[in-house]
Amino acid sequence: MDIKLEKINDIQLIVLDGELNMESTHKFKETFKAILKERNAKVIIDFAKVPFIDSSGIAALIEVCQNLGKVNARACLCHVNKKIVNVFEITKVHKLFKIFESHQEALRSF
Amino acid sequence: MTIDARLPSDVELVPGAIKGWLKQLGPLKLNEDAVFGLQLCLQEALINAIRHGHQDNKALTVHCSIVADPQQIMIEVADQGKGFDVNAVPDPTAAENIGKGHGRGIYLIRQTMDEVAFLNGGRTIRMVMKLKGGRTGGH
Repeated sequence: MDIKLEKINDIQLIVLDGELNMESTHKFKETFKAILKERNAKVIIDFAKVPFIDSSGIAALIEVCQNLGKVNARACLCHVNKKIVNVFEITKVHKLFKIFESHQEALRSF
Repeated sequence: MTIDARLPSDVELVPGAIKGWLKQLGPLKLNEDAVFGLQLCLQEALINAIRHGHQDNKALTVHCSIVADPQQIMIEVADQGKGFDVNAVPDPTAAENIGKGHGRGIYLIRQTMDEVAFLNGGRTIRMVMKLKGGRTGGH
């Protein structure tokens, strides 16, 4: 998985490119280490180029979002494809994430 | 079509192996949802076998067989571990478990496949995906 970090004003955009699975969860979690040192960070995780997620990826996403919550950071997801949304829904973890269709919607949520 | 493979217990080998097997299923013209579901269930079953069945012992191999025809795809993943009681696996969608970082693999398999059975004391999982009802027609 490739991961790019961009800033939109004070909002950290994290653009994922590749599968979020057993292979990529370590790199995914490492990406957030610096962000977890900030308080009140605003984070958008862009899933537009994530074609697949497995239970390891879901676990990593939950861990990251829970850790962000502990430092009063706010995080949301955008551009999540329907197959992944379906996985979130059948495991009910969609209740743990704010999911938006576009960057604009995600930006407006902060 | 039959695929019969033995995979060393190394989780890093799993995604590549699955992609190879899915490529071999190309003639079935599965649609994107079916391919996603098969990838997900193979991934979960193989990782469970390696992590929980074999405790990542690379000396042990996981046996995967896939038997496919135009009606269905039947997959069996077998490990050499101690087995487990599938009835003792907690429901990951229970309110107290939703935020936990584990325990979703078998649930995802059950929700995705049409038939799921655990054999040989939990050492083998058999999963069947029926191909009628809109799972084919892909490229």
